[in-house]
Amino acid sequence: MITHELIERIEGEAVLDFQTDKSGVVQDAAIRFLHFRGMEAILEGRNALDALVIAPRVCGICGHSHLIAAARMIENAYIDAGFSLTISPKAHAIREITLSCELIQNHIKWLYLVMLHESGKLLAEEPPVALKALYVTSQINQLCALFSGQWPHSSYAIPGGVTCDPTHIEVMQALKILSEVERFVEDEVLGCHAEVFRNHIRDDSLLSLGGDFGKLLRNFERLRLLDTGKSHGRFLVLGESGGSITNSVQSTADIALVSEDCSHTFAEGGVTYAKNALYNGEFYEGGPLARALVSKRDGISTLYQRHGDTALTRITARIEEMVTLIAHVRSLVSSLDLSQPSFIPPSSIESISGEGIGIVEAPRGSLIHRARIERGKIVEYSIITPTQWNLGNGTASNLGIAQKAMIGAESIAKASLIFRTFDVCSVCTTH
Amino acid sequence: MPSNPAKLRVIWLQGITCNGNTHSFLNDPSLGTLLDSIELLHHPLLPCAKTLKELVKKLPKSDILIFEGAYSPSFERAGMAMESLLMTLALKTKHIISMGSCASFGGIFKENDPEHISGIVFDKENDSGPLRDMRKKVITLSGCPAHPKWLSFVIEMIKANKPILVDEYRRPRELYAYLVHNGCLRNEYFEWKVDSDHFGTKEGCLFYAQGCQGPFTHGSCNKILWNEVSSKTRSGTPCVGCTEPTFPKRDLFTTKTYMSIPSEMPLGIPKRSYLALAGAAKSFHIKRLEERLIDDHT
Repeated sequence: MITHELIERIEGEAVLDFQTDKSGVVQDAAIRFLHFRGMEAILEGRNALDALVIAPRVCGICGHSHLIAAARMIENAYIDAGFSLTISPKAHAIREITLSCELIQNHIKWLYLVMLHESGKLLAEEPPVALKALYVTSQINQLCALFSGQWPHSSYAIPGGVTCDPTHIEVMQALKILSEVERFVEDEVLGCHAEVFRNHIRDDSLLSLGGDFGKLLRNFERLRLLDTGKSHGRFLVLGESGGSITNSVQSTADIALVSEDCSHTFAEGGVTYAKNALYNGEFYEGGPLARALVSKRDGISTLYQRHGDTALTRITARIEEMVTLIAHVRSLVSSLDLSQPSFIPPSSIESISGEGIGIVEAPRGSLIHRARIERGKIVEYSIITPTQWNLGNGTASNLGIAQKAMIGAESIAKASLIFRTFDVCSVCTTH
Repeated sequence: MPSNPAKLRVIWLQGITCNGNTHSFLNDPSLGTLLDSIELLHHPLLPCAKTLKELVKKLPKSDILIFEGAYSPSFERAGMAMESLLMTLALKTKHIISMGSCASFGGIFKENDPEHISGIVFDKENDSGPLRDMRKKVITLSGCPAHPKWLSFVIEMIKANKPILVDEYRRPRELYAYLVHNGCLRNEYFEWKVDSDHFGTKEGCLFYAQGCQGPFTHGSCNKILWNEVSSKTRSGTPCVGCTEPTFPKRDLFTTKTYMSIPSEMPLGIPKRSYLALAGAAKSFHIKRLEERLIDDHT
């Protein structure tokens, strides 16, 4: 039997086409995205710096990642054109602070608005009140705005640095907000100190945790979903650390092996606007789990060795990343050297003809902005979003990441919940 | 628990969007108080009475319809084209809030298909959108995104049954009579015509070289601060004019000049008056304004 399921509450919508057997077990699943905005075409022909305003509007929840990707892309084009360009350690750190804030708020919204809500619904329980979480995400976004001016849709990162010139007033405010966020995460999300949480990962005793994260895992246990959701076990991280893949062994990733496959899109007679993103012709999983494994963070690596790429590991990786990032932001804010320049002016954009590539580890995985610039104008722009890696449509012999994870689920409702463990973003996927 | 009949029934519907206004709305620190006073019939992210699928099945009456995103007649939600979905919900509601610049004027996404994409009442400056005949019940909250407090202000005013004074684009005058320039921390540099050498400093006005549109953009960004703490200009970023029907213009980080004078004047200021004042102000070379604001950070 074939069922078309509209998936909502995922930053837009997707349609999943499920093929089920007589007992309702999922045999096949295709993922369709039906909205398209043409962001690349909108960028083409414009001044390259306009990308700093246009690109964030790809996505309301991860627009800051798009900003940083666009800024890095232009900076890379400067280098490609033979110009030098310097970013001060302070500007670097500030960008990392604001980008991390975006990831943290994203992960909290995913936990409360999506996962606790949807898993509760499946258990016929009253949806939890997410307001306490939204207050905290508004605080994290405030921390971001202390430097970026606003969230969402800031344009404060520009080739050569950042536009802000913060004082210790912003630094002290940021540290105060961080304390609040840390308290929320320990009291509400984890139900224990961050270190105790890490011990629970190592001891494989996460189900005994008292907070809302523990509640989510127990919901998954009651639904018999914790050990489901296994995919290919191939992971890819292209941003930050320079690019790595891990299969059974880890190796360096080469950006030249990244490709897009349009064979399922409307343009090629298919059923979706989303293009598949492939590495060396294969689907790879991106996102928090990939990042934890590639950077060999011991807790998640141990959990992965025991449970593989199951829902348990994937969900825990996102929460663990949030905890890791909060500590990271604290250390970055605490060690900011405000005497350094925020911005070191590069040559004028009109002098730049070249190709640029900007890669960012966004909330859901590796985000790539590529462009060709001629005398400061964008001639060609191409964006590959994280969800294109995770939510691609393959064939029976070469299944997409989320596709493979859903096949074998006991019901459509359970498969849909597994789909959500990937943190779906429809608006990004089809940009 | 029966719902309180006094609560305003609100539907949040999305057209062609990035979800930016949805996430901006979630930043309201008094979101809880606001949500307590309304009944969300549908919202794309928040817990609400109806899923999109249910909403489309039985298009309900409401008190406020909030529309986020640009309009295109053939754009579908849950399989229903906007042409009938938006029109039906609009006819069955008392108030419509056009949330953000896409819903208000077409915004960024209009650029990809200018012929079919528009705002709900306005298409750029023209009132040729699909809800033009219902414009009297529309409140425009342009901005990319709109500020959460602008939205809660309008909802509170509707709840209190108070009339909202609007401008030519139906934007509340109390929010949009101000310019982004008003309240900018760099005002003194503007007054004395001290420009900013480059980005990343506290000093200098961004209007002369960096493309700042604050002096001719309507918006209370420097009165009602973003995320309670800042704004574009306060973080050294030029205003990109996102509340205006002309958004997005081109070359957003450069000031277009004519004979080294900005070619677009501060709103309502005749070029002659501007030149007379600017010439005088510039000739004084105020030492304090040409120095760094804070000497060093040690």
